[in-house]
Amino acid sequence: MKYFLKSAQGRSFEINVEATSSDHFRITLDGKEVEADFFDVDGSGQYAAAIQGRSFAASIEQTDEQHLRVTIGGETFSMLAEDEGEQVAGVLASSRPKAEVIKAAMPGVVIAVRVSVGDHLEPGQAVLVLEAMKMQNEMASQEGGVVKEVLVAEGDTVSANAVLVRLEPLPES
Amino acid sequence: MFKKILIANRGEIALRILRTSREMEIETVAVYSDADRNSLHVRFANEAYRLGGPTPAESYLCMDRILEIAQESGAEAIHPGFGFLAENAEFVERVEAAGLVFIGPTAQAMQVMGDKIESRKAMMKAGVSVIPGMAEPLSDSCQAEQVAHEMGYPVMLKASAGGGGKGIRIIREASEMKGAFTIASGEAKNSFGDGRMYLEKYLEQPRHIEVQILADTHGRVMHLGERECSIQRRHQKLIEEAPANYVDIALRERMGAAAITAAEAVQYRSAGTVEFLLSGGEFYFLEMNTRLQVEHAITDVVYDVDLVEQMIRIAAGEKLTLPDSMQPRRHAIEVRINAEDPENNFMPSIGKIGNIRIPGGPGIRVDSALFNAMEVSPHYDSMVAKVISSGSSREQALRRMCRALQELHVGGIVTNAGVALQLLQSKGFRAGTYDTGYLERFLEAAGPVERSVPDDLEEIAAIVAVLHRVHTATGKVPLSSSPSSGLNPWVAQGRRQELLGSRS
Repeated sequence: MKYFLKSAQGRSFEINVEATSSDHFRITLDGKEVEADFFDVDGSGQYAAAIQGRSFAASIEQTDEQHLRVTIGGETFSMLAEDEGEQVAGVLASSRPKAEVIKAAMPGVVIAVRVSVGDHLEPGQAVLVLEAMKMQNEMASQEGGVVKEVLVAEGDTVSANAVLVRLEPLPES
Repeated sequence: MFKKILIANRGEIALRILRTSREMEIETVAVYSDADRNSLHVRFANEAYRLGGPTPAESYLCMDRILEIAQESGAEAIHPGFGFLAENAEFVERVEAAGLVFIGPTAQAMQVMGDKIESRKAMMKAGVSVIPGMAEPLSDSCQAEQVAHEMGYPVMLKASAGGGGKGIRIIREASEMKGAFTIASGEAKNSFGDGRMYLEKYLEQPRHIEVQILADTHGRVMHLGERECSIQRRHQKLIEEAPANYVDIALRERMGAAAITAAEAVQYRSAGTVEFLLSGGEFYFLEMNTRLQVEHAITDVVYDVDLVEQMIRIAAGEKLTLPDSMQPRRHAIEVRINAEDPENNFMPSIGKIGNIRIPGGPGIRVDSALFNAMEVSPHYDSMVAKVISSGSSREQALRRMCRALQELHVGGIVTNAGVALQLLQSKGFRAGTYDTGYLERFLEAAGPVERSVPDDLEEIAAIVAVLHRVHTATGKVPLSSSPSSGLNPWVAQGRRQELLGSRS
């Protein structure tokens, strides 16, 4: 079974994995073959892994099956791990222009709204200021675009993942 | 000594105070918001009383309710911890008017030191050097631009009532002033109910060095050396250490004497911290924190004292019995573990704690109130734990901290622990040559792309991620006991370097 990985640090890996027993695996990474085992320690996110004789205490959090945060030796790596089918689907989706949706990263109070419908935004441009945990944070557009909808106003309390602003792709010029 | 005290706080600091109280055989009264009913500070207390809803305004800031509980429970004194009501002079007055003891400074000292402009005036009068700047609040951003122009950029825009990094901005050019003024003033207004701002000259490559003082009610004021707190992001401290690398005995005595003068100027009592900026061999008064500090634990360790115990003894009217001119006995480092996402601009991270692994072993102290299934809520500060390492040398304390952070895991939320580990391993930190801009420069340079991690840790993480996917997909049970079919360990040992390469 082949998997394609992308780390938040920008590296890509192509890994082939083959189970040799229920918890032992033969892995090929960039032409190197390694033996590994993998055990779920407590059913709540701690794993014991040995990779080519080196032992690791890994902690794993996942937002879904493909998005994993692996902590190992005190370092955390965010990984997107897709199998072949998922990767093909992902490439297709990313080739279309994106309509960005800006969501609240956490529950908070909207302190200021910086954009209105019709505004053209640069990538990274702030759309509003959200206060949570006593700190004010600017929420920005990743991709840029045209503001299609602003769903909140100053003083609104929003829950986590609430949609704040919808964008549509910049018209082709 | 008191028989019973009320702890008007939550989280790790409430637990920290509770622990010392229990050691002193003082009964503890905990208070809690609806979000904190299951907290450790509640479970470990002798008595616990509900304050109200989850927001600070409904709970930990609610003076009426806290005083009512103090009376009802028969507590003789109140420890405010830090944050919430810890620096609220009105609260001190009300506690004292109710015939109770406030474990902290007087309302008057708090008022003077709590106001940046007032405290500056008081320090200038007492002969403690201050940073060049203005003594009066600004009327608006236009005046700010004008004053900054005269002072010369860069300047610091600060909230008059500020603290904890809220309402502070560095302004490098005139064009940044208007936006920054609005945000910082708004932040100050929300956090402190006071949006007044003032300006001061920004010192280049400054180090943030603070001096711990203790003052009893019999007129004795002493210092317990310095803490180096220059590792900050947006003026929030992340890593602190004591003693400071560049402070020798002579400078320690000079700074200590200045801190004592500052405390005496306001007839200080209890534990307090005088913050200085050290730049070009000179130090300038920054502010005095009229409370226990988050980073007090490193002073606990290097001077072998318990500052909370000292505060309680002082409040009970005892005389300080510690000798003068104590010198540090050990080196200590503290890392704050915050619920923040370094990959997402340090946005607060909330969630249910799970999958937690706390470090231990020689020279490691962990002050936290974390437990499995605890909810990290958006209502409170993002700091969830402090890891404190100590050793007979800086090198040993540093190695212990790195080892502890490799053992630590706090799951269910995202924390800054990985970034702290990388920073501790960086050249500048190891050499001890950092200033207050170091962390931000480090983050910009290292960023999400280049990380100074051991070469193949990312490869290992990638393999682990794949193993996890396979494991989840096949729905296996935990702790499978099937016999090993892997290579025998000797063969594996021999192939290690050949295949993964980096175990030199």
